Amino acid sequence: MYGWCGQRLRVDLSKGTIIKEPLSYEYRRKWIGGRGMNSEVIYREVPPNLDPFDPDARVCFGVGPISGTAAPASGRVTVSCKSPLTGGFGDSNMGGHWGAELKYAGYDQIIVQGRAPKPVYIWIDDDNVEIRDARHLWGKFPREADAMIKQELGDEDIHIVVIGPAGENLVRFASTFNDVYRAAGRTGHGAVIGSKNLKAIAVRGSGTVKIARPKEFFDVCNRLRQKFKTDPMRKFLYEIGSLSLINVANHDGWLSVNNFKQGAHPEAWRMSGEEHSKTVLKHREGCFACPICCGRFTEIKEGKYAGEYGGGPEYEHSVPTGPRVGVFDPNAIWHNMILTNNYGMDGIETGGVIATAMEWYEKGLITSKDTGGLELTWGNQEVVEKLITMIAMREGFGDVLADGASRAADRLGLGDEGHKYTIATRGMTLPGDDPRGLGFAYGVGFAIGTRGGCDHLRCLASLELSGFMYPGLNTKILGDERPVKPTTTVGKGYCCFYEENQKAMVDCLNVCCFTTHWSYAVLTADQVDYFNAVTGMDITEEEFMEIGERIVNLERAYWARLLSGKREDTIPERFQKEPMPKSVDGQTNVGYVFPVEKILPGYYKYRDYDPDTGFPSERRLKMLGLEDVAKDLAPLRAKYNSESEKKKKKYYY
Amino acid sequence: MQNRKVLIYNQEKCTGCRSCMMGCSLFHDGECGKVLSRVAVVRNEALGESFVVGCDLCTDAPCASVCPTGACSYDPALGITKINQDRCIGCKECAMACPFGAINMSYKTGKAFKCDLCEGRSEGPVCADWCPSNAITYAQPTVAFKAKRREKLIERLKAVKAEEED
Repeated sequence: MYGWCGQRLRVDLSKGTIIKEPLSYEYRRKWIGGRGMNSEVIYREVPPNLDPFDPDARVCFGVGPISGTAAPASGRVTVSCKSPLTGGFGDSNMGGHWGAELKYAGYDQIIVQGRAPKPVYIWIDDDNVEIRDARHLWGKFPREADAMIKQELGDEDIHIVVIGPAGENLVRFASTFNDVYRAAGRTGHGAVIGSKNLKAIAVRGSGTVKIARPKEFFDVCNRLRQKFKTDPMRKFLYEIGSLSLINVANHDGWLSVNNFKQGAHPEAWRMSGEEHSKTVLKHREGCFACPICCGRFTEIKEGKYAGEYGGGPEYEHSVPTGPRVGVFDPNAIWHNMILTNNYGMDGIETGGVIATAMEWYEKGLITSKDTGGLELTWGNQEVVEKLITMIAMREGFGDVLADGASRAADRLGLGDEGHKYTIATRGMTLPGDDPRGLGFAYGVGFAIGTRGGCDHLRCLASLELSGFMYPGLNTKILGDERPVKPTTTVGKGYCCFYEENQKAMVDCLNVCCFTTHWSYAVLTADQVDYFNAVTGMDITEEEFMEIGERIVNLERAYWARLLSGKREDTIPERFQKEPMPKSVDGQTNVGYVFPVEKILPGYYKYRDYDPDTGFPSERRLKMLGLEDVAKDLAPLRAKYNSESEKKKKKYYY
Repeated sequence: MQNRKVLIYNQEKCTGCRSCMMGCSLFHDGECGKVLSRVAVVRNEALGESFVVGCDLCTDAPCASVCPTGACSYDPALGITKINQDRCIGCKECAMACPFGAINMSYKTGKAFKCDLCEGRSEGPVCADWCPSNAITYAQPTVAFKAKRREKLIERLKAVKAEEED
């Protein structure tokens, strides 16, 4: 078999059984791999009303047909589950080398279900799979657990997926890590894994990925790699990492400062990639087969935190625990990053909940009585630091915040006023980019994202973000150059539709979207080229994009089954009503608001969603081969628009 | 002779991405896998360190001297040792003798295989061509060493200057 391994692993931790299931040609053709196969499993096997921490819940690790090959950045892994944070569909993906190793061991996917009676880890050594005792690993940081497992198994070259203490303590936004620092951050599957008493999955593979047309595949890869050498985006990402965005964001006013109250700050340059590279950068890092290598390794040299080290930073990880909570001291930001990594939780959500709590505190919704004496003032690094640990260990006020911003608002009884400041959609807080300046298509992604609010990599509308670096690209793809301007409503509906389908495919192949549609070295046609060369299929670009559309629709249907649709397709009031204030000289987006309702109808039209429910239409579902999904949704359409349902305000599920 | 290009590994630049390994196995074997690569990346994730290991093109090569059948021998024209697959008996002596661990055993044939500088590829070895961080370069030694010397010198002088300014 070419590309795929053709089998998946199903591990039932309750029964202690390990089953290898073959994957048929039709199944692979329909769902490709990674996110596609994972979403299919979640949709079929995890009922929408099931508690995410129920032993019956599934957590899936998927890789694609391209994973582990020479195709640029082909080592990603998608982790999917029913999210304990949003209560809806959740997935996230991570780089590193684990995905490739899983392919070499001979599996396209791992499904974990059940709950082990005591902490365990899974050891996959090619065909031999065993469940091993992990009681001694419980409570350990990813770094420690990784080292202990490697020592125990006597091989330093294996790759390990691991959760940290936050996952064990069921923090609703705990993440999964592989290769110690590469995190699948969002939607909180780390807690689901923790609820199954699973600490880690170690993999060693000695196989190879077979290529149907090697000569052709080599030529495609070679062509793409030559293109990367001169790609303008790649240069920034390699030299200064994704923190190269800080100065851009600060100039254009889309940096999240003080929980999105501002879009820029005169001090923000201190944490820019340029400064980072000059001061604390120890090494540049690359995930598997990556031609960009945007990964960083940091070693703090001065001050209170001198001597601490760890992988990162990355823009989205560092902004929420930095400017978003008002912290601008770079060493403090690197420290917060190392801390969240050690505990194994999502830096975005951690910063998001703390920033939200700070705003509640500022507005007088909570007082130091609620917080156990903590003064939650903007930029109070001492408190931020304490809170990170308290959240991870679920101590005191941290226990409240560990349920995520939206749930915390309800636990504290803050009502609608509290939810106003959560800056979240569908229960997940947004990453550190403000749609008022960054881009309107990108902002629509927040409203319609199929994993909830965070959709910075889901509908990464790069045609407007980095389109200006590639003149003529918008015309080539969208047939119009005007959408290249981020803050226009022209053409954004289709832009969103296209980018969302495209990203779904990228996640199915499990390549990195930094290589595919951010730096535009690998266009859709190129992805089809390498997909065909590896698998020996001959699908067209249209068929390729249709698969992406199928996956987006299936995930959307999962939300529809939770009665989440058009009314929930919105973004926080702040972006719609509060004009962007001026914070630095030359800020380009002063006075902007984000007119989300002007773009959504256009998007719905391309998606063919029902105009009154926002559910995928029956016609489109059938066209995409999802007849059974159409049947599932049929009775729910009327229910969604019933009066009682209309009155409900849903912040999470 | 002096100007024949060689492979140079700049350890401090390796990002550990394994692009080189993928290019190598795909180019030579038409499959992708670490086990079929002639070049290897050793990663120490916890400390963020990566090292690239490949044939260092020894002139007096240990792999050739230990080979019992003469399968592994130095090719003066290419400037690298080659393994004649017909004569190789798969004894693994060369793999153990190589000071860098740059020789591997093929799971397909059971015989030893090693770098051949992608013989016949006009752009030179794939690993160097694809390396995103220039950790592997394919260059004339005299030029490369000269450049290195200058780079190190400038670094040192800059540091001295910075100290003086402080």
